[in-house]
Amino acid sequence: MDRDKLLGLYRQMLVLRHFDEMCLDLKMKDLIMDGFHPYSGEEAVAVGVCTNLRPDDAVISTHRPQGHSIAKGSTPRQIFCEMLGRRGGVSQGIGGPMQWIDTPNNFFCGSIVGSGITIATGIAMAMKREGKGRICVCFFGDGASNTGSFHEGLNLAAIWKLPVIYICENNQYGEAMPVREFVSVYPISKRAASYGLEGVMVDGNDVEEVLAAVEKGVTAARSGDGPVFIEAITYRTRGHYGGDPEYTYRTRDEVEWWRKKCPIARCKARLLEEGVEESVLIALEQEVVRELESDLAWALEQPFPTVEQATDHVMIPLAEGGRLK
Amino acid sequence: MTGSKVKRITYCDAIREALREEMKRDEAVYLIGEDIGRWGNLFGATKGLLQEFGPERVKDAPISEAAIAGCAVGSAVMGMRPVVEIMYIDFITIAMDQIINHACKYHQLSCGTVNVPVVFRTQGGVGMRNSSQHSQSLENWFVNVPGLIVVMPSTPYDMKGLLKSSIRNNNPVIIIEHKSLYFTKGDVPEDEYVVPIGVADIKREGTDVTIIATSWMVLHALEAAEKLAKEGISCEIVDPRTLWPLDKETLVNSVSKTRHCVVVTEAPAEGGWSSEAATVVTEKCSGDLKKPVKRICGMRTGIPYGKIEKSVVPNDEWIIAGVREVLE
Ligand SMILES: Cc1ncc(C[n+]2csc(CCOP(=O)(O)OP(=O)(O)O)c2C)c(N)n1
Repeated sequence: MDRDKLLGLYRQMLVLRHFDEMCLDLKMKDLIMDGFHPYSGEEAVAVGVCTNLRPDDAVISTHRPQGHSIAKGSTPRQIFCEMLGRRGGVSQGIGGPMQWIDTPNNFFCGSIVGSGITIATGIAMAMKREGKGRICVCFFGDGASNTGSFHEGLNLAAIWKLPVIYICENNQYGEAMPVREFVSVYPISKRAASYGLEGVMVDGNDVEEVLAAVEKGVTAARSGDGPVFIEAITYRTRGHYGGDPEYTYRTRDEVEWWRKKCPIARCKARLLEEGVEESVLIALEQEVVRELESDLAWALEQPFPTVEQATDHVMIPLAEGGRLK
Repeated sequence: MTGSKVKRITYCDAIREALREEMKRDEAVYLIGEDIGRWGNLFGATKGLLQEFGPERVKDAPISEAAIAGCAVGSAVMGMRPVVEIMYIDFITIAMDQIINHACKYHQLSCGTVNVPVVFRTQGGVGMRNSSQHSQSLENWFVNVPGLIVVMPSTPYDMKGLLKSSIRNNNPVIIIEHKSLYFTKGDVPEDEYVVPIGVADIKREGTDVTIIATSWMVLHALEAAEKLAKEGISCEIVDPRTLWPLDKETLVNSVSKTRHCVVVTEAPAEGGWSSEAATVVTEKCSGDLKKPVKRICGMRTGIPYGKIEKSVVPNDEWIIAGVREVLE
């Protein structure tokens, strides 16, 4: 891969990592008021996938959406605000850390495990009808692959040949349950065959590999070949939520083993191999941190929604004749 | 209905006419559900629409209630206007997540920038001896969900006009049809018309007691009123037509006049829409009410199979007894 392109991916992954780590800190300080689900360790998936997308493509994500959202184009400022429940968020602070909609960015997420898989079919159906070659990317976890929505959603997209790219982020755990204990077949990509799809498996900690696999998938989906299923094998190096009792369900050794496979460290090693100066990479990281700190400082100054605003936009007022009180 | 020629059609015909007219009017409207295309729905409500509009507009879906509802939500977000059919309301349990957590939340979460104009058509109630998993009245659940409009028409006229309004509306709507009403007939205008959401209708004028009834219960209330008229008791029958938003004004005006109120619903009483109607009346008409509001509701039981299904839901006799009680 072209050095500058790789450098760009590296920078984006750094944004996601530092954003996440700063959120963990905000959670510890109780400034994030709901559960915060870290994305640390999985950055290569969000970045590798979203780099392939057009702004008018849609992404539907999960209860762990921050990496996907920023990689798709939401600004860290907006997402900090959403985490903090402030008006500057994409859902004006009403959504919180697990559910927001960034309309200009065509980004959706939600906290009900598996639901996005059915909604993606509808988005993709409308896109197919529209005929502009847009696609919908649907992120979900290994745990979500056991929900009814997974099976119903994949079947529907397959029979109707819809332009959806399913990205199963296999981060090894559904809360505290290890994936091997809760799926009947492994790897999960095998399940794709049940719906007539090829299940592609990639190393989700290798941003170049993710990018290449998704690039192929995007081309296929855009050209009308129907859905694409990619399972990215990765690991969340933090708890299920910030501050969970993680060493009750996994060992320190296991976490350490995966930390060595850190997607960012791997990308950095590649860049060094390519002859990029270490000092350049350090300066880049410092710049990312400085920018995020200023974004956070801005976010912390934004107002909270008022109680009156809590009922904004619940419904569209009825047209004349209908009484809505 | 003055000024326009009328025709006599069934409740089922009214559904088909509304769907057909709205599909012709707006390309974005499409139908999705199980057996709505080739089969034309269990009762014939969508018969002929597949032939007329083709498989892209009338989508026969697999038995996948969650996927059907999710697909509708996703496509609505993208500007399409799906009319979903959930064959029996009992099956909506499988699609609750997509309706409650997604369809009814996206507008608010998007700060008003995303609309979810989905209509969920489904049918409930007794009448086909379908037993406990095919005969329920679950409307009470939906009345409790912010962001969702709940429509329950009782006549072909209301059915057609409200379905058209629901399709044109930009909020999610659930429209609950009744299996005992599909083949009842009524007059509808030849000309195009709509019935506004959130406006009740007085189905019979009267002076002694207000009967607030919905869906199939309106027919029972009318029969009860006919019998009571012979004894000189004059019943006013108010059909809210939309359970949410509820037309409190019409309810309250009627009860202020008659000073007696009976609320009739096929669903169980507890935690239900009938308590809401009774409370609204009690709060706003307390000075006028001569007797506490009486509720006549379905029994709190699984609907039994066969001939006895009708014995656990209100009928005209139950309503007559209730009216006598409040007039005593
Ligand atoms: C329908 C539903 N059931 C349970 C939960 C609680 N819950 C939240 S996250 C989660 C684990 C999801 O695991 P997975 O899909 O693998 O995603 P990951 O958290 O690993 O990214 C569970 C059970 C939920 N939010 N929704």
